[in-house]
Amino acid sequence: MPVLTLKFKNEFIKDYRLGKGQSMTIGRRNDSNMIIENLAVSGSHAKIDSVGDGFVLTDLQSKNGSFVNDELIASHWLKNGDVITIGKHTILFNYTGGEEIPDEKIGDMNQTMALRSDKYKEMIAKNVPDGAEEIISEKSVAGSLSFLSGGEGEIALDKKITKIGKASTCDIVAKGFSVGKVSATISKRPDGYFFNYVEGSKPKINGKAIDQSVKLNDFDVIEIGSIKVNFVVKES
Amino acid sequence: MVVIESSGITDVGIKRANNEDALFLDDKMKLYLVADGMGGHQAGEIASHLVVETIIDYMNNYCDRKSDFINHDKTLSSEANRLLSGIILSNRKVYEASQSNENYRGMGSTISALYVSDDTLITANVGDSPIYLIHNGSINLLSIPHTMVAEQASLFPKGSAKLGDEYKHILTRAIGIEKNVNADICEMHYYQGDTIVIASDGLSDKVQPDEIMDIVTNEEPDKACASLVNMANDRGGDDNITSIVVKVKKVLNKKQRIKGLLSKLANTFIKKD
Repeated sequence: MPVLTLKFKNEFIKDYRLGKGQSMTIGRRNDSNMIIENLAVSGSHAKIDSVGDGFVLTDLQSKNGSFVNDELIASHWLKNGDVITIGKHTILFNYTGGEEIPDEKIGDMNQTMALRSDKYKEMIAKNVPDGAEEIISEKSVAGSLSFLSGGEGEIALDKKITKIGKASTCDIVAKGFSVGKVSATISKRPDGYFFNYVEGSKPKINGKAIDQSVKLNDFDVIEIGSIKVNFVVKES
Repeated sequence: MVVIESSGITDVGIKRANNEDALFLDDKMKLYLVADGMGGHQAGEIASHLVVETIIDYMNNYCDRKSDFINHDKTLSSEANRLLSGIILSNRKVYEASQSNENYRGMGSTISALYVSDDTLITANVGDSPIYLIHNGSINLLSIPHTMVAEQASLFPKGSAKLGDEYKHILTRAIGIEKNVNADICEMHYYQGDTIVIASDGLSDKVQPDEIMDIVTNEEPDKACASLVNMANDRGGDDNITSIVVKVKKVLNKKQRIKGLLSKLANTFIKKD
């Protein structure tokens, strides 16, 4: 069972043993289980309850608050090694050796935490029984441009940004007197593929001149100088 | 050539004793970073600052040597590869620190980064700190939230309802948790008037995207940042709050630059006359 070590400014005062099913009250009042004689401590300051396999610390609306690991708490699931601060007193919460420490995942979910990928898969397996396999292969959307004229075949839009224009450094070269060196770019964003006009004569999408950023839709027809392509989306 | 105006602040909020967020912004480097640390006993603070410092250092020192890229992904531009390399390096640093020091065990951080090159803007993120683009009266997320709830929602639209609020803060990816990390990257052309907002979840949990758009459209970056933080604090300030607002004030393409130079020259001649 865990032990609470009461300290004042790093000086050891007393150890308290916590038992399963027991509660412990902390405060200045002399009927508290853990009495702390200090004006910074409220009469009934906080209490610790045994809940299931773990222990919960609750602040009893004390005047100066209760802190766990330097964070103000209203209630908190205690974990091995937690440091409770009440006024200038600190209380260490530690499990004594040789006993099973309850799973830390219980309770405190307000803290941001990161899962290791193996733990993540474990949790998914519990929560989405049929989906455990599926999670490994993420669904992805792949766009491509297929030539209607001015070229042949299909160009996969697998880059984050694809450049179209007159310059030979472009991913797709479009000829034409007024076509910009980079006429437009297509970006793969979380919310879809976006067509962005850059410079030179305005390219067209479905016959409409574009001088801005627009989201591409399946089967949009893009015209830039000598080329005409169809935007196509495939889900894999 | 691009003229940028930016501002950023971080605030401890109302409920927490420490600020585990870290931020960086520099209009000369055109680099903007928000990191939200996690881990008890000050470790979260250490992780987020280590991430930011490592990326700044990498971007400063390795800028012209392509051979130094830790990461080389052919589908990305060299600028994007540079940013990604900085992020991968920061993951190594935090992971090593957490392995070598008992007090730092399990610490981690998110990272959300914006780097503005001459003709594109590049965003990268690991974790759940959002990056918003405000363009032409709409606001869109350029980052991918690496949270269990978001990933479940995209994979199993029906099943995600099963996951309660307690899963909201569980990240599926973070800097420093595992040996390797994968960042999500976005690269795109930008326009005059575009605004990018990078925040920690202390802001995005409390202030909705439409409200963010409204504030940054109507206020200058420094005032907008203050308004956003105040709004999050007014609504509880449960977590640390960080926001960076980056506005593209002017974009000059090559032709305009030459024209500008010519007119400047012409002006000096006229003055001499």
